[in-house]
Amino acid sequence: MKKVGEHAGGGVIDLDDTDQAIIALLRQDGRMAYRAIARALDIAENTVRGRVRRMEESNTLRLVAVTDIEAAGYGMLLAIGVQVEGRAPEKVAEDMAAIQEVFSVNVVVGTQDIEILVVARDQADLTELITDKLGRVDGVRRLTPAMALDVLKNQPDWVPFHHAT
Amino acid sequence: MRRELDQCDLAIVERLSRDARVSNREIAEQLGVTEGTVRSRVKRMEHEKQIRLTAVTNIDRFHDAALAYIWIEVERSDQTRDVAGRLAGINELGFVGVMLGRADILVITMVRNAEHLARFVHKRISVIDGVRGTQSTLGVNFIKHDYRMARIVG
Repeated sequence: MKKVGEHAGGGVIDLDDTDQAIIALLRQDGRMAYRAIARALDIAENTVRGRVRRMEESNTLRLVAVTDIEAAGYGMLLAIGVQVEGRAPEKVAEDMAAIQEVFSVNVVVGTQDIEILVVARDQADLTELITDKLGRVDGVRRLTPAMALDVLKNQPDWVPFHHAT
Repeated sequence: MRRELDQCDLAIVERLSRDARVSNREIAEQLGVTEGTVRSRVKRMEHEKQIRLTAVTNIDRFHDAALAYIWIEVERSDQTRDVAGRLAGINELGFVGVMLGRADILVITMVRNAEHLARFVHKRISVIDGVRGTQSTLGVNFIKHDYRMARIVG
């Protein structure tokens, strides 16, 4: 069992095996009927309903639609390392997180100060993103991009909820 | 390249991206279309793997989780696809991409700490035939990940 910690904006809850089993089913189908979940796990429908509500209200779980980046019109995906100069990496990271095409932002330690993942519709869109948006963020010294030729998988189970609207 | 979503699809997805369990009837009322239209479009988008209705969980609720970027170099370039295919089968990896520049393959996973990362790379990545070397970066602050953007596979 994973230990759940205290965090601003929600109560503290521990996820037990029943919670984890419910999450596993909802990952397969976010619209699965609570009655079907109850039957699959051999528990009461009200238990399922209550567990889901508790996890949603504590900001632990969300049931959402995720869209394939190609279907959304984004043909290109890049992983870009960012070196920062004269400004706190967290500040630069926050500015980058505000850009819509930047879908993942991590402050890291090592050669790079920040790692971001971005999408672009085409080459013109990408040029604008890199030179006019990312390159002009205050504190950016150097961008080191790598383009994805083929994305075989892009769906982490665990993500931060802040910045998600 | 899969088919792009049209305006009506996008309006439905926008509503579902905030709450996947909102009823088709409610979406239909808000958009001024029939419930049947919403139902068939949702079914089609799911079937064609343009969208997925799923559960996402909040990493901030966990003490011991950090994001690790693992850059992988293969022995010979013609092994890249095979190695990437093997990596895509590892459940713990949230991202697997064949890259142009920086390295041959990038994978991203969630680890508890540096020791866990080292063990994971040693036991699960380095053992794959064709992997020449890896370079890992541990995240210290996971600022953003737009979970609504994904690569939907079979």
